[in-house]
Amino acid sequence: MPNIVGIDLGTTNSLIAVVSDGIPRVIADSAGREIIPSVIHFASDGEVHVGQEARDRMLDDSGRTISSIKRFMGRGLSDVRDDLTLLPFEASVESENIIRIDVFGREYTPPQLSALILRELKQNAERALDSPVQNAVITVPAYFNDAQRQATKDAGRIAGLDVLRIVNEPTAASLAYGLQEQKHGIVAVYDFGGGTFDVSILKLSEGVFEVLSTSGNTHLGGDDIDQSLMLMIQRETGKNLEQGQLQFVRAAVRRAKEELSASDSTTIDVPALGYSRKLSRRELETMIGPIVEQTLVPCRQALKDAGINAKEVDEVVMVGGSTRIPLVQQRVQELFERVPHTELDPDQVVALGAAVQADILAGNRRDTLLLDVTPLSLGIETMGGVMSKIIPRNSTVPASATESFTTYVEGQTNVKIHVLQGERELVEDCRSLAEFDLKGIPPMPAGLPRIEVKFLIDADGILNVSARELRTEKFQSIEVKPTYGLTDEQVETMILESFEHAESDIETRLVIEARNEAQQILEACEKSCRGEEYEGLADKEKTLIAESIARIQTTMKGEDYQAIRDAIEENNEATHRLAELRMNAAIAKALKNKRVREIQ
Amino acid sequence: MKYFELFQLEPHLNMDIGALEKKFHALSRQCHPDFHTTDGPEERARALESTALLNDAYRTLRDSTRRAEYLVKSQGFKVDGSRAPREMLMEVFEINEGLDDLRSARESGDPVSELLEAVNEYRKRIAEKRRAYERQLNGAFGEWDDLLANDASEEARREHLRRLAEIISQSSYIRNLEHDLEDEVSH
Repeated sequence: MPNIVGIDLGTTNSLIAVVSDGIPRVIADSAGREIIPSVIHFASDGEVHVGQEARDRMLDDSGRTISSIKRFMGRGLSDVRDDLTLLPFEASVESENIIRIDVFGREYTPPQLSALILRELKQNAERALDSPVQNAVITVPAYFNDAQRQATKDAGRIAGLDVLRIVNEPTAASLAYGLQEQKHGIVAVYDFGGGTFDVSILKLSEGVFEVLSTSGNTHLGGDDIDQSLMLMIQRETGKNLEQGQLQFVRAAVRRAKEELSASDSTTIDVPALGYSRKLSRRELETMIGPIVEQTLVPCRQALKDAGINAKEVDEVVMVGGSTRIPLVQQRVQELFERVPHTELDPDQVVALGAAVQADILAGNRRDTLLLDVTPLSLGIETMGGVMSKIIPRNSTVPASATESFTTYVEGQTNVKIHVLQGERELVEDCRSLAEFDLKGIPPMPAGLPRIEVKFLIDADGILNVSARELRTEKFQSIEVKPTYGLTDEQVETMILESFEHAESDIETRLVIEARNEAQQILEACEKSCRGEEYEGLADKEKTLIAESIARIQTTMKGEDYQAIRDAIEENNEATHRLAELRMNAAIAKALKNKRVREIQ
Repeated sequence: MKYFELFQLEPHLNMDIGALEKKFHALSRQCHPDFHTTDGPEERARALESTALLNDAYRTLRDSTRRAEYLVKSQGFKVDGSRAPREMLMEVFEINEGLDDLRSARESGDPVSELLEAVNEYRKRIAEKRRAYERQLNGAFGEWDDLLANDASEEARREHLRRLAEIISQSSYIRNLEHDLEDEVSH
């Protein structure tokens, strides 16, 4: 099977990795960067920058930059109203169930924006591996619900990827640590990232990684720490920060936060506000103590659900940039009474684990098996607005449940089923997943039809539903209306659009530009190779030039603008000395002419 | 009985959980979708279905209460944890009054310490009751396994399953009540 890549699509940063020669490695972009900021910049000339280029523009062009898009995946307007105020763009009016961000007159849903990041990663990998990348494993927070997982899968499809598996981030991390060598034991994974917090308790035995329980908070992360520091500055300056200033303040508090992981005190400088202040680690810890404390609640819940004592945990694995904070490490150590593992880079470990899972799916690792669970109970709405659980949380996936339904009115030909996720008793306190409309029930007296509905949560943690009427043995057609998410048709349209606009527009333009430049270079080369300076070159230099010209000619026929650019770059180097010689000659000639004129 | 068959087990109620887990892992290695990614769509669908069934079975069998509930239900008996055991009706009535008093005192901001103390006492009493039911359930498990081992008559088996269904229903009621009391105490 060709390359299957592992992708960590993070709130703050994203990475792509692949296993080669049995070892997972993060793939760098053309500039050698392994960590790609999850930032998108829409330039005024229509070009879209992703990653470091976009982050660099955040400060001086914040009005055209989007970050932390993961917070909006699979959410509705009422979930993310506060987060939306951090974006420089408005959500359009039809954002109730899926956010539509208006970027200079064009609407983007979160999966489409995430797809831009995924596409960038895909291209980086294709360049580095020198082969097309089609199949991917993408990680999500373990506590992501159905809609958030589906949105991530949709993003992959829009980016032109076949998403073979959605894997939970903490589980991926445990794979990266290669803890299977320990044969047996209980592992706790504490994953504190930019926007989300997850904890998973796993049991290892003979290469089987069995998740016993998982818990978390999809709205708790390093961003919240930044936010509390930003509020402090706002308080101390007594000013309401404007959109343009926010980015400067955020950059400054992030730097201070990161510095305080290594030193005892630092200075926060925001020249734009005329603000400067010393901050000690102790002050920071007092401020973020409650946030760190919030992460311990899901830890205790996960232990309880796993039926395990904190003392029985053999290994603790730390994942996510926020685990660099000494207070976080200290509190985790206190809870589990273990020194946590921090050997692997907490920013890379999830991507590395995703690559390992990709390697398993490719059939290269029969010894390792991952058994994950669904983080939330699945249920259906019953009489009186009560949620009736049919698959409990922490069930190993895939998991299924079968329920029977019937009609209440004579001749009734359809039945509506409302599916929910959550732990609370009342429907209104749970997360609505979808409404299923069972259609085409043969008309019968009330209560006679028996419709058996099978709810199946697949290995991605995503719900599939099928139904049949038992008396007629007919499979029923089901119309699904996802509460928070895109229908299949909408995703298809977006895939088409993305080819028609985003990619083809920019890619084609980039290819055309590169070809034009290559053509000019070829003409210039032809001219300079006829000159007497060329004859003066060493044979080796002439060969290099000839080779670089040939490479330009080959790459120009292809569609890969980067390959053309690389060939041009190679030609630049090969012709460097020739150009110098010709330049010198030209200057000498010019001077000579000048003297002649001066003499006249 | 499908779940027991899947693990090639007699429908015993006392079970070696370690052996069950080993078998679960071995079966997972055969059918898990992770090992069938490169197969055709039909084989992949089959891997998904059979792994879901395997997981459902393991989840049910490894927990003694779920296992027993599955057994009696699959033999056509009903389990209903919503009704209090008859001999406890007076006690349950008293407990519910105590809970109501505590909740209304909380709502109106009246002192709760005495009421809370009373509820905590109920909690201890119910926890004791729950343990008694667990012992009773365990005894019934052993008796069931003996009936199977001794090839008892269909009639004797069904009579025992009926009794099991009753004990499961009652202990499930007690467990729920204990949860409610715990929630109120740790409020």
